[in-house]
Amino acid sequence: MKKFILIFSTIIIIGLIFGISYYEMQGLNSFPRLNHSNITTNPSTREQPQVAPLHPVNNDSISYSLQNDELNITFNKGQDWVKVPVEKDLLFDGEYRGNKQTLIDDSYILTEDRAAFLYRQGAVVLKNSLDQGKTWKDVIITESFPVLRFRKVDFLNEQFGYVIISGDRTMSQEYSAAFLTHDGGETWEQTADLPTTRLISDGGFVDERTGFLSYGTINPEEPDLYVTQDSGNTWYKAVFHIPEQYDRIFVQTEVPVKEEDHLSVMVNQGPNGDYEGGRVKGKFISKDNGLTWDFSEEVHPNERI
Amino acid sequence: MKEYKNKWIEIGGWILFLFAVGFFCLQMGYFFVHARYQVEYIDNRLFYIINMLCVICLVLAQMLLLRLNKMLKIGIVIVAAVFIIVNGFLLDKNNGQIMNITSISPDFKHVFSVKEDVASGEAVYYRSYYSILARPKEMLPSEIVGEYKVEWLANDIAAFTYQTPDNTIQQFIGTYGDRKNGTSYYYVGAEIHGVWQGENVEVNSNQEGISVTENNNTELFSWENIEQFGTLAVILKNNNGAAWTIALNENFEVHSDASKPTVGNISLYKATMDENQPIILHDKNSR
Repeated sequence: MKKFILIFSTIIIIGLIFGISYYEMQGLNSFPRLNHSNITTNPSTREQPQVAPLHPVNNDSISYSLQNDELNITFNKGQDWVKVPVEKDLLFDGEYRGNKQTLIDDSYILTEDRAAFLYRQGAVVLKNSLDQGKTWKDVIITESFPVLRFRKVDFLNEQFGYVIISGDRTMSQEYSAAFLTHDGGETWEQTADLPTTRLISDGGFVDERTGFLSYGTINPEEPDLYVTQDSGNTWYKAVFHIPEQYDRIFVQTEVPVKEEDHLSVMVNQGPNGDYEGGRVKGKFISKDNGLTWDFSEEVHPNERI
Repeated sequence: MKEYKNKWIEIGGWILFLFAVGFFCLQMGYFFVHARYQVEYIDNRLFYIINMLCVICLVLAQMLLLRLNKMLKIGIVIVAAVFIIVNGFLLDKNNGQIMNITSISPDFKHVFSVKEDVASGEAVYYRSYYSILARPKEMLPSEIVGEYKVEWLANDIAAFTYQTPDNTIQQFIGTYGDRKNGTSYYYVGAEIHGVWQGENVEVNSNQEGISVTENNNTELFSWENIEQFGTLAVILKNNNGAAWTIALNENFEVHSDASKPTVGNISLYKATMDENQPIILHDKNSR
């Protein structure tokens, strides 16, 4: 015991000595640098509310802030900020229920090579920057579109990207559309019209030709997935072979992903599922590039997919 | 009896040892949160004081828990003394470079903090987090020279009054709350529209600005000379300096319906280096 206390005490003393050296050498006790990112000068007029220092919404090095009713992005954990020239409210325009503290999932891309934000201002616009916010370009996805509900944008590589949007919802019907670009987002073309007006729940492309749209958000009873294998010229309804015991349990498909020589997709239980707590998903695989799907296994929430 | 006493000595020793470990973890945690969240101690002196407390607890714990020979005891005391002297020296040196001005709110929930670079006179207001940590928020508009004082006008409003190199008196208000659920910004001047009365003082807020009548002398402060802090207080300025602060008391209710009577009081606080207390005012029409 004596040894333990003495060793522990020595560690503490050495730790504190290192701590003091670090504190003094790193200048942690020095007067703050007048960095405009975290210090604001005193507002000189009464009209101006005090501006709070910006904090990223998460701990990622590439992140954003919606403070002060504006969108700012950072590529170095909040040390430097770039203001995105877009009205914050436009980013939430349409059917949105939330507190506007974080951007709508999938409605933006924020990576080292691309910052892009999807919104509607009459036309549906993608505000795009390829130089970390130094310059911005507004690309019109479609000239006119009704009030947005679902919105998703993603790029699979530098050139190929897709936008999936829906709107004009009446009860449980709405219009949905997918748009593709093959030139890095300069021009966009709409895919063939989709044969359903159910509410879209998700969608995505796994390569430049193969894409999926999943439908059914309110009380879905079975997977309702549409697939294209020719860059959206035609859409087919995918067929799911669901074992009897999972009938009306696994009902809502997520976005398929490529796995070795086949595709796989997780089918969840929808908003009202209660099978084993409601969070267990069914994994289905397809060996014909998404047309037919066979059950593979149950996936529990704490398992890796 | 002796055994009983020994037991208590041992418990005391372990408690002190745990305190030492706690202080050590606090310091190590501080380095982590500083690197990650750019926060610092609300008062720079805390770093050295916690170091000293840690070592004092550690030495006392060793004395109580261990049977040490005389040489070892002397060695430990010398190491601790050197450590404490070095920390005291660094504390004094740092305090000579950066002056820490801190004040705790009457309800102990907020800490007002300003750090001043003694050499340049520049001062920065810090926003407090978890009582002992803080982040620099904004530069004070003028350098601090000579006297200063901090007065809490409410549990969430601190008025910092100080003198500047050009012999004016300035005020800076730290605000830590809201009177409207924190959901929207509002203008204090507009919210206190009307006539307010207190002991020998009257305040009138109207379209032209805010006028203060003290002992039958009226001074009008136009809206250009009124600066708002947060959503709780305004400063009325004249001749490049502050003249008054008006703050919304905790019982003041902000509501958007102008037809409803105003509820609550406001405080009027004179910008002076003399000892003074805020004057509580009530809405003249509500009585």
